[in-house]
Amino acid sequence: MPKSKERDLTVEFSRRTVAAAIAGGAIWTGLLGRLFQLQVMESRKYADLAAENRVRLELAPPLRGQIYDRFGVSLAAHRQAGRITLIREMAGDIKATLQKVAALIDLSPARQARVIDEALRKPAFVPVVVADELTYEDFTRMTVYATNLPGIQVEMAATRSYPRGQDFAHVLGYVARASQDDLTRLSEGLGPNEARKLQLLFKHPDMRTGREGIERISESWLRGEVGYRRVVTNAAGRVIQALPSADLAPTPGNDLSITIDAELQAFAMRRFGKESGAATVIDLASGDILALASTPAYDPNDFVNGISSADYSALRQNDRSPLFHKAYDGLYPPGSTIKMVTAMAALQHGVTNPQERIYCNGLHKFGDRTWYCWKKGGHGSVTMHQAIKTSCDTYFYEMANRIGIENLSQTFREFGFGHRWDIGLWGGRSGLVPNDAWKRRVVGVPWMGGETLNVGIGQGQLNASILQLAVMSARIALEGQLITPRLIGTGPPTEPKPAPQAVELDAEMMQMMKAAMYGVTSEPGGTAQRSGDLGLGGPRMAGKTGTAQVRRISTEERLRGVRNGDDIERKLRDHALFVGYAPADAPKYAISVVIEHGGSGSAAAAPVARDILAEALRRQSGAKAHYRAKHAPESNREML
Amino acid sequence: MSWTEDLRRAPRRYSQLGFQTNLDKFARMPWGLVAMIIGLAIMGAAMLYSSTINNPDSSGMAVRHFIRFCIFFVLMMGLAITPLRFWLHLAFPAYAATLLLLIAVEFIGVSGGGAERWLKVGPIRIQPSELMKIALVLALARYYHIILAENSGGFLLHLPVLALIAAPAFLVMRQPDLGTALTLVAVGLVMVYFAGLYWRLIFASLISGLVSIPIVYLYLLKPYQIARIETLWNPKADPLGAGYQSEQAKIAIGSGGWNGKGFTQGTQSQLDFIPEQHTDFIFTVIAEEFGFLGSFSLLTLWACVIVWGVIIGMRSYSLFGRFAAIGAVATIAFYVMFNIGMVAGLLPVVGIPLPLISYGGTAMLTVMAAFGLILSVDIHREAKPDR
Repeated sequence: MPKSKERDLTVEFSRRTVAAAIAGGAIWTGLLGRLFQLQVMESRKYADLAAENRVRLELAPPLRGQIYDRFGVSLAAHRQAGRITLIREMAGDIKATLQKVAALIDLSPARQARVIDEALRKPAFVPVVVADELTYEDFTRMTVYATNLPGIQVEMAATRSYPRGQDFAHVLGYVARASQDDLTRLSEGLGPNEARKLQLLFKHPDMRTGREGIERISESWLRGEVGYRRVVTNAAGRVIQALPSADLAPTPGNDLSITIDAELQAFAMRRFGKESGAATVIDLASGDILALASTPAYDPNDFVNGISSADYSALRQNDRSPLFHKAYDGLYPPGSTIKMVTAMAALQHGVTNPQERIYCNGLHKFGDRTWYCWKKGGHGSVTMHQAIKTSCDTYFYEMANRIGIENLSQTFREFGFGHRWDIGLWGGRSGLVPNDAWKRRVVGVPWMGGETLNVGIGQGQLNASILQLAVMSARIALEGQLITPRLIGTGPPTEPKPAPQAVELDAEMMQMMKAAMYGVTSEPGGTAQRSGDLGLGGPRMAGKTGTAQVRRISTEERLRGVRNGDDIERKLRDHALFVGYAPADAPKYAISVVIEHGGSGSAAAAPVARDILAEALRRQSGAKAHYRAKHAPESNREML
Repeated sequence: MSWTEDLRRAPRRYSQLGFQTNLDKFARMPWGLVAMIIGLAIMGAAMLYSSTINNPDSSGMAVRHFIRFCIFFVLMMGLAITPLRFWLHLAFPAYAATLLLLIAVEFIGVSGGGAERWLKVGPIRIQPSELMKIALVLALARYYHIILAENSGGFLLHLPVLALIAAPAFLVMRQPDLGTALTLVAVGLVMVYFAGLYWRLIFASLISGLVSIPIVYLYLLKPYQIARIETLWNPKADPLGAGYQSEQAKIAIGSGGWNGKGFTQGTQSQLDFIPEQHTDFIFTVIAEEFGFLGSFSLLTLWACVIVWGVIIGMRSYSLFGRFAAIGAVATIAFYVMFNIGMVAGLLPVVGIPLPLISYGGTAMLTVMAAFGLILSVDIHREAKPDR
């Protein structure tokens, strides 16, 4: 390599570096000159522009996901409503501003005080609702005059609405403005930044959070992701122009569908009339819950914009507890409705055979105490079939005693008692299947043989939810086949606890149980004989009545002839229960019904169950047509 | 000039450099340059903190920015103590591999922000166009290291270089990432210029470039790219569309005045209205909150970093070292120049971040790798790499 050549190159390299440095210096000077021009020479012009052309970023809350029934009927949607909001930092004197608003629309001093209080609590830039659900006249009037009221915005906003009102109060729950408690709960497990973001988001007047039911448990599925809106505001802070903000737009929440048939649910709710009670209908083909009714109910729409404390305390004090989800959260002694399970436990453990006759003279002595059959004077000699049909207590006292509590409680568990069915709802109870271990743990004393007798007829410590009773009924109707109730059609993925295994019983025994349930509604002497005919010209219902004691009737009262009904105060009257399925010969739907303090299962609960099942069967054809009409275009599209 | 004196000294073998351990290399580290790099990154974190203070969506960005910087800083130090001959041997294979990745992006790229720029390998996302910025510099440095040692640099010797530049630039342009494509071409041409391409050829191509502008404008650019250029001359024509960013950025910068509105006090810059505030338009925050004095300081700091980089190039004993350092410095300089030019409304909006200050990991990785290369050239400046 010639030395001179490299030196030449080195010199050339240096020369070029100098040239590049000059060019770079020129560029540097040019950039600095431009900045000098903008920041020093034209600074005043841009400062003015900055002051008057204020662009702000507004929180844009996501639209909450909608909820539909199994046929796409809307259960939770959005409604556009006119609204007035106040932004404190722009209003200056908020008191004077509110008085000016009060001159234009109806705004009570109490309401004004509440708005001021809320505005002072929240950050100055967060809008506070002054009035919502504006009438058309108020909305237009305010739109005209608001230009003179700094900080006051008149806008349309999406509000959660529940078109089916009370029918779905307990299933859907409701949304409300997030309280401090809600925020604490929702922030659990979030990082500090996420939590701060959540807090700020929920200060927006449009944001709601689910408080009960599906709205609560599927909160994160339904909520969506917050976005922002760029807006240009004038010096008074009024939004004068919306800027393109598609890049910041909120992501709406996911929609959700449930398995309930809105029309059947409505029918069931109405069928209870003024009674307080609950019903569950399960589709035997799929385990879909077609109706999950609890009456009386409340209107979830009342909660969306905040319920008045007077209305709320009225709901709380109502002795028929409209706020309580009786079908899922309520626990009742199942009474005679579980006698099939006791009978099956007896067969399973070989303590009897179906032909064995037990003599019932109306009472059963055990130790030094006496247990009474519901029928004064007794049923005489009864087989298993007759015992279920006539709901003979004496027969089941004897059987329960033979089976023993450990075996009996085991069979109850196999039918799903003591298990909280996770159907995607907030709440839900597991109920109680007592045994010796439970009693030692909770009460601290060993199990007494006499208690087994009570459990055998569905009384004592045993209690169950209406959903559990429907599942039991469904499993009998399906001759022991496993069925898992399901409420969420499309929604957040769930990981339910493994369901109790189906009972292994031979078909003959299961058919025997079904025959007995048929006997209850359709044979002479059956306790619900009058309710067997569904009124559809053929199909009948099979089932089992139950009357759950709320209060023990003392021997003294028994001697006076007090049994139940009008003789005693309502809240002490028995709960009327019924479990069943229809059609009896080819079961499609299973049902359970409770009427609180309704008296006897045969008189009060069975007719309700019959009518709801009849409606379910009647809707079977109609509903399918409806479903086809609703979904045909979509499925065609998919095929294309 | 004193550094040219260094060039006349004979290069030494790596073993003769006197490095017993890697720790010895830190003694030769240009710590002043390292300090300026750290200073810029801290400035970036502070500006991100200021611009996101009212936005719960982006809180923590400043911290993430700085943590990322710390990680890349370790990487930069690692690259700095890597022997120069390692870079030399890596150059062509790295270029070929990156070119293949760019071709792969054509077919199996992952869409990000409307452009196909990513390759997904398991959890890692690779952006080959960024890798190419370093790979191209290395490849050209390697090429001239071979060629110029033997020849004086005739016109024909530069032709393969043009191909080396054009191939990746074309692929990147197709993605379409106009900003990166332009950077590749600009950096490549700077290296050609330093390799001694005849001045008359440089002037001739400059003129033909100017002539070809209308053709590029009419046939090669996509409508949105044309819109960005047009709004440069007349931003008010479409104040809510393409001109919106430019116009709002100018208001933010201009309203800063002489000494600005104070840290976190910028009314325009609180991520309220400038899209990409925390990435490409971070300079508006500095300009608004610290005024002209702040802009001047930042530009001066960058100028010092760049001049220092050029000095490192000049005092390297080997051709490879010189070209690698010049190329890496040019890459960084173009980032800064394009970004500030764009934000100040002198150049169209092409999505180039301000190195070390804008939020975003990819650009920072590229710049830190470039710095690592520059530091390595300086530490091993007396080494004589293989042919």
